[in-house]
Amino acid sequence: MKCPECSYEAPVPEFRYLYNVRIDAPLTLRQCPQCQAWLSVDELAGESTGKVEAGDAPWGKSAGIERDLEEAV
Amino acid sequence: MTAEPAKLDVSLQEHEEKQEWWWIAEKKRSKRLDYLRKAVWKKGALGGNYAPGIKVDLEGPKLFTDMWKWWKFDPIIMRRAKALAHVFDNIPIFITDHSQLVGYWGSAPHTISWRVDGASIVNEELYNEPGIMPEPEEESLRKVAEINDYWAGQTAVDKVARILDPEDAVKFLSGAIGWGAPTSAYGYSGKNYEYYLKGERGFEDIIADIEDHIAEAEEKTIGVPGPDILHIYDRIQNWEAMILVLEAAIRFAKRYARLARTMAEHLETDEKRKEELLRIAETCERVPAKAPRNLQESFQMDLLIQTMSRFEASEGAWPARPDYYHGPFYEKDVLQDKSLTEEEATDLIGEFMIRAYEVGGFGPRWAREGMQGITGTWVWTIGGVKPDGSDACNALTTAFLRTARLIRVSNPTFAFRWHPKVSDEVMRECFECIRHGLGYPSFRNDPILVANCMNWHGHPVEEARTWVHQACMSPCPTTKNGVQPFRMASATANCAKMVEYALHNGYDHVVGMQMGPQTGDARTFTDFEQLFDAWTQQMQWLLSLLVRTVNLGRYKDPEFYGRPFLSGITERAVERGIDAVSPEGERGNCWITAFTWVENADSLAAVKKLVFDDKKYTMDQLITALETNWDGYEQMRLDFVNKAPKWGNDDDYVDDIMLRCLRTMAKHSKVMRCTSNNTWPAAPQNVSGNIHYSSVVGALPNGRRLGDALYDGGISPGPGLDKKGPTAVLKSCGKIDHVADGRAFLLNQRLSPTQMAGEKGYQLWRAYMRTWADLGLDHIQFNMVSDKTLRAAQKDPEKYQEVIVRVAGYSAHFVDISRKTQDNIIQRTIQGI
Repeated sequence: MKCPECSYEAPVPEFRYLYNVRIDAPLTLRQCPQCQAWLSVDELAGESTGKVEAGDAPWGKSAGIERDLEEAV
Repeated sequence: MTAEPAKLDVSLQEHEEKQEWWWIAEKKRSKRLDYLRKAVWKKGALGGNYAPGIKVDLEGPKLFTDMWKWWKFDPIIMRRAKALAHVFDNIPIFITDHSQLVGYWGSAPHTISWRVDGASIVNEELYNEPGIMPEPEEESLRKVAEINDYWAGQTAVDKVARILDPEDAVKFLSGAIGWGAPTSAYGYSGKNYEYYLKGERGFEDIIADIEDHIAEAEEKTIGVPGPDILHIYDRIQNWEAMILVLEAAIRFAKRYARLARTMAEHLETDEKRKEELLRIAETCERVPAKAPRNLQESFQMDLLIQTMSRFEASEGAWPARPDYYHGPFYEKDVLQDKSLTEEEATDLIGEFMIRAYEVGGFGPRWAREGMQGITGTWVWTIGGVKPDGSDACNALTTAFLRTARLIRVSNPTFAFRWHPKVSDEVMRECFECIRHGLGYPSFRNDPILVANCMNWHGHPVEEARTWVHQACMSPCPTTKNGVQPFRMASATANCAKMVEYALHNGYDHVVGMQMGPQTGDARTFTDFEQLFDAWTQQMQWLLSLLVRTVNLGRYKDPEFYGRPFLSGITERAVERGIDAVSPEGERGNCWITAFTWVENADSLAAVKKLVFDDKKYTMDQLITALETNWDGYEQMRLDFVNKAPKWGNDDDYVDDIMLRCLRTMAKHSKVMRCTSNNTWPAAPQNVSGNIHYSSVVGALPNGRRLGDALYDGGISPGPGLDKKGPTAVLKSCGKIDHVADGRAFLLNQRLSPTQMAGEKGYQLWRAYMRTWADLGLDHIQFNMVSDKTLRAAQKDPEKYQEVIVRVAGYSAHFVDISRKTQDNIIQRTIQGI
């Protein structure tokens, strides 16, 4: 896997596993051992989908109705 | 300072439309409350670290240790009483500007207290904690080192650890299966409010009673010699210690009176403030020596007692029922005599809560991570019924709810004892607090919990009806024989280890040691019953080990620690001349806090479905995947998440396994006995242990990896896994017998602020709550803050300092909890009702 921030390349397990916010999705958070950036990782594809900053939500909105309601409003 | 509100610049309506409730609170509250709310120091750890500027108090520990050393030949109870009295007589005190209530557990407003005689391992952790030593740091470190050197090996935990079974001690101290300490130096103290907070007696009355008991006992000691009088000598010591410390407590209050009077007569130039200071002086001259006569005295007495209790032990909970015990004074002052206006009373109520929010003590890292953002669980009980079963809600119930929305502290929070006679007015006030994003009150089903108290511990119905939350969830009466004087937190179980150990033959791959019994190599299991049998054995072993630590702690505590102040305010101890922590005459009200519980049901169901029923995977494949933390097995992991039934969807396949687990545990709860020979029911809930244990619990068949947050509630479905809507969640939870299957069951639900807006939102919620009550659930609590607000708060925390969320059994300011906890809260399903 390649870090999109610093281009460091290594097998996925070498990127420190942080946590998986949505247990039912393959997207996890890992940390680059070189630049320490938090990355979202597609565990099925073995690829990073991007750097994650505070407030980012790579998993999308919570389950449930909030998205529908906000869109309706 | 008057109770007039601060000036408005942006319209309240505009804030309301944006659901910016914190700005509304700031604009609506009085200038005094605004000042007091902003002047308070935040003591809760941010994630796991103390806020800049917070320093450990070294005055109290030094005073205590000096006097403890001086009285080295005294019995332990007298040593503690004398050392405590020395602290009460000498610790620096202060009065905050504009305040009307006094008393703080430390020598300055920015300090956190330190329990020096609790545990050497905590003392060492304090020495190494960066940033909390008062300047000059080098000198402070030297003082701490001296104190630590003295206490090393003779703290309460040191003493208990020496007599615990060595294997039990090592396994408990590994931190893998539970937390807490088997001593009354830390934990959850019960309070015998029926004895001292009904406005019927002050400390002088208690002292007079004790003197009578001593006189009677001394007569016996000079009577006919025999074995039956020998225990009396110990009792006299206990009584004398109680008197010594109660007298010191009265002097402690009078020091505040003297300071307030001095400030009024010599320093204060504002006439109005002079009057307030003189009122503080009169109040502290009155209480706790004598019974309170008005609301201010009643609050002050309560606050001083809570403060002084904490000088004796690091009490991690604040059980209270403030509307019930202070309500008669509110009604007299505000409604009958009109000696206080509603606005003036609001100032007192708000300050009472702020003074509680201010309290903070040093906690080890596991405690800070486990209770992020707060310093203890101040869950105040409101509502409920009186001993005769009639509605106990009063004018102060609604006043507290309204005031909570003005001051928006995260600690204390309220837990509301709902019952069928609660008025619509009170329910609307509760709902407004939730709608304003406070996360509280939580709702407790009173008829269910009264029945639960009677079922598990045999409390008579009138006694059961006095119950308050002893910590987050568990009900405890406030009567002479019903109150549990101290709940030691080491009966807190990391329950996800039950299924983890069942799958790994009792071996813990995270801490690298054999923990539970060897229940067989799970790779060889050929049916679900073998797995469930292994789970049962691991559950029984884990709970029994933790309960043994508490039973031993309770049994030895009067000898190893001793609580003369707590004893002096506990009727059973005063009457018998015993230490309050002694079980003599106590009915028994123990419980096991069952952290990380739901993972058991979801994991067992996943194995049953995919391995034994569908035969899609073998046990060998599963154990291999778990041992590698699912690395390289992502599709298989997703199958275990998405192709196996999950709790909270009204699916009998997994719900039956949940009930089977609960009922197997309940059976064992009746086998284990406490020091009063009563039962040990479990209360599934998490505080924020689901985050703390995320790096302790290994990979599980429900699809989590080592590192992932565990589920947030005691019976809450996994975040995002409750896919069938809110009624299905309630129906799953309603299958549990909330009287007989355990002590209490925490259910978190998240609602949409958009859907809950206006009268329509209230009516929807009321209908939902009727279903909740009809299904017989004992607990529910709500978050009602949108994704948008929470994500914005993550991005720009400075602008969202006042956003509050419900974590588990408590609330916290969102910006004070770790990113992992924040994400866990955001990912909870937002139920449309």
